[in-house]
Amino acid sequence: MTSVCLYFEVHQPFRLNRFSVFDIGNYQNQSQNYFNNKLNKEIFEKVVRKCYLPTNKLLLDLINKHDGKFRISFSITGTFVEYCEEYMPSVIESFRDLYKTGSVDFIEETYYHSLSSLYDELDEFEEQIKMHQNMMQRVFNYKPKIFRNTEAIYDNRIARKIEDMGFKGIITEGTEKILHWRSPNYLYKSINSDLRVLLRNYNLSDDIGFRFSSHNWNGFPLTADKYANWISNTEGNLINLFMDYETFGEHQWTETGIFDFLEHLPDNILNYNHLDFVTVSEAVERYNPIGDVDVPWAISWADEDRNVSTWLGNDMQIACFNELKNIGNKIKKTGDQNLIETWRRLQTSDHLYYVSTKGLKDGAVHAYFSHYDSPYDGFINYMNILQDLKTKI
Amino acid sequence: MIGWEYPPFKAGGLGTHCYGLTRSLADNNINIDFYMPKTKHKAFSDKNNLTIKEIGETNIFPYDRPEDEELKGHFFESVYRYNDLIVEKVKGNYDLIHCHDWLTMKAGIRLKEKLGIPFVLSVHSTEYDRSGWLNPNQWFIDIEKEGMEKADKIIAVSYFTKRVIVEKYGINPNKISVVHNAVYPLGDDDKKNIVLFLGRLTIQKGPEFFLRAAKKVLDYYNDTQFIVAGTGDMLPSLIDKAVDLGISNKVMFTGLLTEDEVKHIYRISSVYIMPSVSEPFGITALEAISAGTPTIVSKTAGVAEAFNNCLKVDFWDIDEMANKIISLLKYDPLHKTISKEGMKEINLFTWDRVANKTIEVYRGVT
Repeated sequence: MTSVCLYFEVHQPFRLNRFSVFDIGNYQNQSQNYFNNKLNKEIFEKVVRKCYLPTNKLLLDLINKHDGKFRISFSITGTFVEYCEEYMPSVIESFRDLYKTGSVDFIEETYYHSLSSLYDELDEFEEQIKMHQNMMQRVFNYKPKIFRNTEAIYDNRIARKIEDMGFKGIITEGTEKILHWRSPNYLYKSINSDLRVLLRNYNLSDDIGFRFSSHNWNGFPLTADKYANWISNTEGNLINLFMDYETFGEHQWTETGIFDFLEHLPDNILNYNHLDFVTVSEAVERYNPIGDVDVPWAISWADEDRNVSTWLGNDMQIACFNELKNIGNKIKKTGDQNLIETWRRLQTSDHLYYVSTKGLKDGAVHAYFSHYDSPYDGFINYMNILQDLKTKI
Repeated sequence: MIGWEYPPFKAGGLGTHCYGLTRSLADNNINIDFYMPKTKHKAFSDKNNLTIKEIGETNIFPYDRPEDEELKGHFFESVYRYNDLIVEKVKGNYDLIHCHDWLTMKAGIRLKEKLGIPFVLSVHSTEYDRSGWLNPNQWFIDIEKEGMEKADKIIAVSYFTKRVIVEKYGINPNKISVVHNAVYPLGDDDKKNIVLFLGRLTIQKGPEFFLRAAKKVLDYYNDTQFIVAGTGDMLPSLIDKAVDLGISNKVMFTGLLTEDEVKHIYRISSVYIMPSVSEPFGITALEAISAGTPTIVSKTAGVAEAFNNCLKVDFWDIDEMANKIISLLKYDPLHKTISKEGMKEINLFTWDRVANKTIEVYRGVT
């Protein structure tokens, strides 16, 4: 038997206002001025319309149709849930409807989709996970067993911490950097703990996430039938297909046929007797690890480099990261909840992603997701805000 | 090839372009005779298949804007005389004729007829650019339009300029190729606390926006030095403006600089700004970047569409210009990264690439 494990990442950052050096130290209520509520609402409502609601509905129909055989997992960030609660609670309802089918599992992550796992101390990381746990408890009355760190960032230190916090498994990238000759299509465990490690099959995942509508790809056009056939011919017992939920309808527009593809995927996979679907929790329960992964330096599922250079690849990014990290203790000591919340919203990894100066190939992807003219504009804006935040302590 | 300036004498990007282009074309085994007006400074070539031919004795300064009637008469007359001389002098077995901008167009058109060979026209700027889109002079526009119509192929220095040629001169876009400019990298040096403007002091180049941004920056960072390098009809009014703004002790007007002084000033400046109102390309931006100097350019400048690792502003947005200048001075990681990435990207902007693209255009007409 080979199991297909589908997991979708659901996230929206709080994008920033234009903030000039002349604004530093000039405002009283920071959160109103840092975050571009108008743009954020616009983008959120657009993605709800194009992706979240139609895809949730399609998945609900598919789950009902297949009588529990079609199974999926989600990870939903705290900032995303805040968007829903502020602008469109019905989106949360539609996720609850999915959860109630019993065929849907949820994954834990940091509330703010942050890089706190890379700080010198892991206390902030732990706090943000606990915030997310509380949110999951409140919104879905559920306690996830599997953890996914921001963009699947993983190293041995993070694995140890996650096991200490009581999780059964963790998600990361199935990159050759850690696998060498080994296959990602099995369950592994961390070298320094008993934590199970689910590895993303990036070829098959990116066939949907990145290449689906690419005309100069030799797999084009990708049909559910063809894709199921590839999967049926893939060796291994656990094929992890992890991708951004916004793939459906937002990164790949409706016109590309992505929804038709998704609609026919369960049928085509279940047509093979040796294939079934599992959630992330079930994958960890059902299979035994076949080996250890040893990851002394952080990897991730981002960009071609599959490391943390996406967020910490240049001096500007490192400067912002350090600035934000270093004011943490002082901010917390103020006890000012608004200030702490603002500081945490600024930790969302997207703000550093916009400052990346990577080369052409990844750069094109970066530009697609950025509302700035260039990484330099992203830096100036973000750094100005961090300087302003410092004046508030 | 017919031009009007060539190093060591040059007033603008056209001279720089002709120098880089002809030398790289020569390296690519194209034989070139380059015709230009005779000047005090003798231009020369050290390449066998590139000959510089200086013609006559004209007193045209091609970027002049003849305002009064009398001067206008002389100006137009000397332009015609130069063109007549060229038509007279150019003899021989050429495969094609390549002209640059309005000053040489009349000759291009007539030589095309006389020799029966194709005529390629490079457009480095149009009358609309030079006038800053205020009161463009119809005399220039008519010459430009005729030249563009008669040319077999046009090379525009940017998509911005291609659009102007299509929209304002009604030229068929299919005969226009875009070839972005290039630079011989200068190499960097230790930076001083200097913010630089370098260019002709004309309405087109937007020097007054530079001064207004300087005022804002100085209110914030009092110890910054601003330099306005170059000369032009706006020099007196700019000096007055600096006094009015109360920043005359922080702004230095250098007048015209020698080539070595230009290189030096690029290298030691911390920020270069090109706030042009209308800029077909903007080679100076490439020069500054190649000297490791972070550069802020007008969003509409041709260089802005071609180059990633620089900052872009609307020329009228003084607040944003000041924000970017201060950020570059204040945030070292920004300065370092943009300088480093800019110098990396500049290596793609070679004259060899310009020559190869130009040869492609030649192949299309011969």
